[in-house]
Amino acid sequence: MRAPRRQKLKNANAEAEQFRRRAMLGFLGIMLAMLVLAGGYFRLQVLQHEEYQTRSEANRIKPRPIVPARGLIYDRSGRLLADNVPAYRLEIVPEQVRDLEATLTGLGKLVRLDPEEMERFRETRRATRGFRPIPLKLRLDEAELARLAVNRHRFPGVEVVPYLTRRYPYGMLFSHIIGYVGRVDVADIEAMGDNRNAALTHIGKAGIERFYEPRLRGEIGYEEIETNVEGRALGVLRRHDAKPGADLYLSVDARLQQAMADAFQGQDGAAVAVDPATGEILAMVSLPGYDPNLFINGISHADWQALQAPARPLFNRNVLGGFPPGSTIKPFMALAALEAGIRRPDDLTLSTGEYFLPGQKRGYRDWRAGGHGMTNLRESLAQSVNTYYFKVAVELGVDRVDAFFRRLGFGEPTGIDLSGEISGVRPSREWKRKQFNVQWYPGDTVNAGIGQGYWVTSPLQMAQATAMLANGGVRHRLHLVREVQAGFDQPRVPEPQPPGVRVVADDANLAAVNDGLVAAVHGPTGSARASGVGAPYLIAGKTGTVQRTSRQGQVAVDASKLPYHLRHQAWFIAFAPADNPTIALAVLVEHGGSGSRAAAPVARRILDAWLVPPPEDTAR
Amino acid sequence: MIDLLRWLRESLGRLLDKVDLPLMLALLCVMLISLVVLASAGGDNTRLVVSQAARFGIGLGAMVLVSRVTPAKLRLWTPVAYVVSLVLLALVFVFGSGRSANLWLDLGVFYLQPGELLKLSVPMMLAWYLHGVVLPPLWRTLAVAAAIIGLPVAMIIKQPDLGTGMLVAASGAFAIYLAGIAWWRIGLCAGLGLASLPAVWPFLLPHQRDRVVTFLNPESDPLGTGWNIIQSKIAIGSGGFSGKGWGQGSQAHLDFLPEHTTDFIFSVLSEEWGWLGVVTLLALYLFIVGRCMWLAVDARDGYSRILAGALAMTFSVYVIVNGGMVAGLLPVVGVPMPLLSFGGTSAVSLLVGFGMVMSVHAHRKFMG
Repeated sequence: MRAPRRQKLKNANAEAEQFRRRAMLGFLGIMLAMLVLAGGYFRLQVLQHEEYQTRSEANRIKPRPIVPARGLIYDRSGRLLADNVPAYRLEIVPEQVRDLEATLTGLGKLVRLDPEEMERFRETRRATRGFRPIPLKLRLDEAELARLAVNRHRFPGVEVVPYLTRRYPYGMLFSHIIGYVGRVDVADIEAMGDNRNAALTHIGKAGIERFYEPRLRGEIGYEEIETNVEGRALGVLRRHDAKPGADLYLSVDARLQQAMADAFQGQDGAAVAVDPATGEILAMVSLPGYDPNLFINGISHADWQALQAPARPLFNRNVLGGFPPGSTIKPFMALAALEAGIRRPDDLTLSTGEYFLPGQKRGYRDWRAGGHGMTNLRESLAQSVNTYYFKVAVELGVDRVDAFFRRLGFGEPTGIDLSGEISGVRPSREWKRKQFNVQWYPGDTVNAGIGQGYWVTSPLQMAQATAMLANGGVRHRLHLVREVQAGFDQPRVPEPQPPGVRVVADDANLAAVNDGLVAAVHGPTGSARASGVGAPYLIAGKTGTVQRTSRQGQVAVDASKLPYHLRHQAWFIAFAPADNPTIALAVLVEHGGSGSRAAAPVARRILDAWLVPPPEDTAR
Repeated sequence: MIDLLRWLRESLGRLLDKVDLPLMLALLCVMLISLVVLASAGGDNTRLVVSQAARFGIGLGAMVLVSRVTPAKLRLWTPVAYVVSLVLLALVFVFGSGRSANLWLDLGVFYLQPGELLKLSVPMMLAWYLHGVVLPPLWRTLAVAAAIIGLPVAMIIKQPDLGTGMLVAASGAFAIYLAGIAWWRIGLCAGLGLASLPAVWPFLLPHQRDRVVTFLNPESDPLGTGWNIIQSKIAIGSGGFSGKGWGQGSQAHLDFLPEHTTDFIFSVLSEEWGWLGVVTLLALYLFIVGRCMWLAVDARDGYSRILAGALAMTFSVYVIVNGGMVAGLLPVVGVPMPLLSFGGTSAVSLLVGFGMVMSVHAHRKFMG
């Protein structure tokens, strides 16, 4: 096939023959290449068709979320506690803006723009594609709206967009119940998992808003949008409707809540009012509070600093705060003694002013120098006689005390529908060994008898136990949400609660304790008798004073003269009317001196608010 | 009146008597397909179809005219055509315009892409040269031929227009191949070429290197350089066996597919017409190449043979490179799908080339 190597003359025929062969070969090569090409297309279009079909659909169709309106929150008589209100926000579509810096400067003259808002905008700008609107400022006020309306034509790509924002009409009053919603942050999105929720702008950060977040949020729906390569929507292909968030009806009564906050008259502290029959919270405050509205659109630096005050406005004392119960433990200790059969109501105990454990020199004192003399159960509660309870505790022993108080719910969360509730401390041998790796001493038992030593309780736990005294010995789960309405066309459905647990065996024992508690308020020797004067109903109550500094040498200190942070914490637990209780109450006044002088009057004002004007406007 | 009609028919017949009918019909089929696909890919923009039809009209006119020029005359003017086209190419460096590369000369009335002229003038010049020397070519012949190819190719790649440069080089290489170069010389040249590839790498422009990297691994940068290929493969693959239907190609119509009227128009056809459409078009192309080769073999002189054969084989390179590129089988180079992609100069120069092939065949009887 090869031509002669050296040839001087052109050989036309040989050249033509050579060309014919080369052309044939060339054409065969081309045909082969085309076959390979057709094979390649066969692989893509027939063999791998499914895969590319899917990717083509994924290209074309983008889900666009539909965020439903957040559920509303009402009090027990239908007053709106958390509302959605229309508002306007300022948005910028970066790709439609010619000069972003000039636009921002220009807008800054019409609208107040904090450096924080600018920083947030720039951060979002970096992470967002140019055609997506980015909020620059939420909740424009009317003056800003008006100024923008006039100057809008000067700013292409800048839009004023209506939306729904959360509002808490009662402001600070319900801060520690409702909590607040805030802007979704990266951690929230990760925690939620479902990336449809990326459409959310706000999420419950505290309180009911946080605990019931999934139900308040509802279900985000989405539209299947046909989009072009830039992600711009061209049309709706299909629609999956959003499910609106559920409305919550709380057991809280806004009127009582206001009265409770007012009752503190500016002091710090906490109070919980419970419907003894059900465990429903009627009112609950932790003071000072904060304005939850500050958090909705991002709290400013100055506002945040103000909330870092020593009194800790953000700290929910009811749920997170642990305090020694002091003498408010005595009714339960008395009940433990009666139930265990080591005391009868009429058994007398001698109080000499000081109690000694056998073989010990260090005495445990009564609060009244010289003691209270011979006291029965009733007087022990009315006068808050320490020696009575030193002896009761020692005779019961720590193990029986531990077992009984566990039944009452001490040392474990009450199960209220708020996040982060503490357990508190119910002292026991085991607990002490775990905590300090130290054995239990008899002196620990003596201290435990009067609610000092290792005890830590929350106001919620005290309220739960007090409600148990009031309702005939049944422990209910405390809760805030009473009814849930899953949509405006749905009925209000009671939120199911676990059945109450009966923790007291003998009603007579309960009656004996409650008799002592009435004597503490209405009896001639009652420690809180000053707060019972003139009440048109019977109050059963018990004071408690937690001493931070007990005595200096042999001299009892005057609590009101101590430095603020060293002052006592004052407790008062109560229920009323004592013969047919409709409210059980735990009040804690911080830095308040004694329970009788600081806490009991607060409790009286709260009880008056509930009982004196008959609560006809409340749905009971 | 009847006389007028008869006169018209006769003169038209005379005008077209040098046209090869099977080739003409196949070309018309491809052009029709092009207009139909463009009507879909262009969306509401009917201007594309009208303008493409106009270019086809001009190209067909030029083809008919060229088919009437005898190969002898063509050969006579070949050196002039080659030099003129080289000069025009050089002018591009001075007066050129273009989006990313200086490929165009603004002639006032229309833009001219001198690179396209070289696609014709280089095989013409080689055929002219090889016609005058003893074949099969020896090293000395090859050196001259390499110079004829190398000068314009280097200039075109410098513009930079890798695709056109490659096609011009291919047309020259085919001419030498058809002239009967010995296989061992081909092997040696190919070996040397492959060995020098690493030496070429540093001279490539960044975007050309990107294309090679992207070809080797398109998913390496799915939103950057790999985007076009990935989207094109999605378009082709989602078309399936019988396609999504005319005007239903979501990849093209929602702008996921880049350059969907020019370099990537074959993806649109694949998406909307499926594998059936692909095979139909490839078969048409194969027929065109085969017919041209047949006509070339039939020619009587070396010049005609080599010119027609080289043009035919170059045409197939368009198809294979573009078809392979949009399916991710070959790297991305700016080579259009012949007579399918939107674009005037390429269509006209291709049709002029077919005119030359037809001329070779029509005038074979008068050549010695």
